[in-house]
Amino acid sequence: MKTNDVILQTTTKVIFFIIILFSIHIFFAGHYAPGGGFVGGLLTSSGIVLLLLAFDLKTVSTMLPINYTVMVAIGLLIALGTAAGSIFFNVPFFTHAFEYFTLPLLGKQSLHTAALFDAGVYLVVVGVTMTIIQSIGEDE
Amino acid sequence: MAFQLLLNFFIAVVWMFISVSFTASTFIVGFILGLIMLWIMQRFIPGRFYMSRVWAVIKLVVLFFKELFMANIQVLLLIIQPKMPIKPAIFALPTSLEKEWQITLLSSLITLTPGTLVLDVSEDSKTLYIHAINYEDSDDAINSIRDTFEKAILEVSRS
Repeated sequence: MKTNDVILQTTTKVIFFIIILFSIHIFFAGHYAPGGGFVGGLLTSSGIVLLLLAFDLKTVSTMLPINYTVMVAIGLLIALGTAAGSIFFNVPFFTHAFEYFTLPLLGKQSLHTAALFDAGVYLVVVGVTMTIIQSIGEDE
Repeated sequence: MAFQLLLNFFIAVVWMFISVSFTASTFIVGFILGLIMLWIMQRFIPGRFYMSRVWAVIKLVVLFFKELFMANIQVLLLIIQPKMPIKPAIFALPTSLEKEWQITLLSSLITLTPGTLVLDVSEDSKTLYIHAINYEDSDDAINSIRDTFEKAILEVSRS
């Protein structure tokens, strides 16, 4: 008995964009408002899980040819590198630096190294979540 | 449709460059000027003038809210009666819509109006199976959906 998933698939194609946009917003809002790397990563992986539910593992892995275990490693390296960068400036481990820059288009923005650490957290969360779900899903 | 919209955006951006002010109000003025130009030039541009399609979308939204209101009143009148004279039934609705988004939109509109609910779409996407709370006659139900939602959706997607 095959079912016709036309409604689920069409709505997924629309809603995926909204989820990903919202996850990026949450990721960048983490410094002054609720949000951050962990929640943003979970939201991104929930968008990919929605794709997995509407389509199948093969289709999604051709759409996003990402090795999620490598993604976890890269995320950990970024987080560690951000923490270790403070050694070169003779300040304690994990000391963050921030500075105000005037960027084109965006105006005056505060660039903080904690955002890079958060990017590492984000990659680890997406990688771990997707690794768990794919490993369970591929089990025959 | 998409080409005309892009052209209109392009005209608005050119207008912003010509008047050397990059604000939202200048963009809106340029957009309206582009609309007038596109309306004049519509016989040279392939497809239908896109504002008529926007008008069809607005009409569909108004129709949906009207149906939502009426159907809610009908269901309310059904459930406040002590005997609850409902006749639930499942009927098949043959649809002439072909594209995926049209079928999705039609199913959503049918489901959001109380009293009817889309259960399933057939394998070849030609039939919708609908559950109705108060079923008298399948021809009546099919025709009422045909005359309202399906016609409006076809009006939106007419090229």
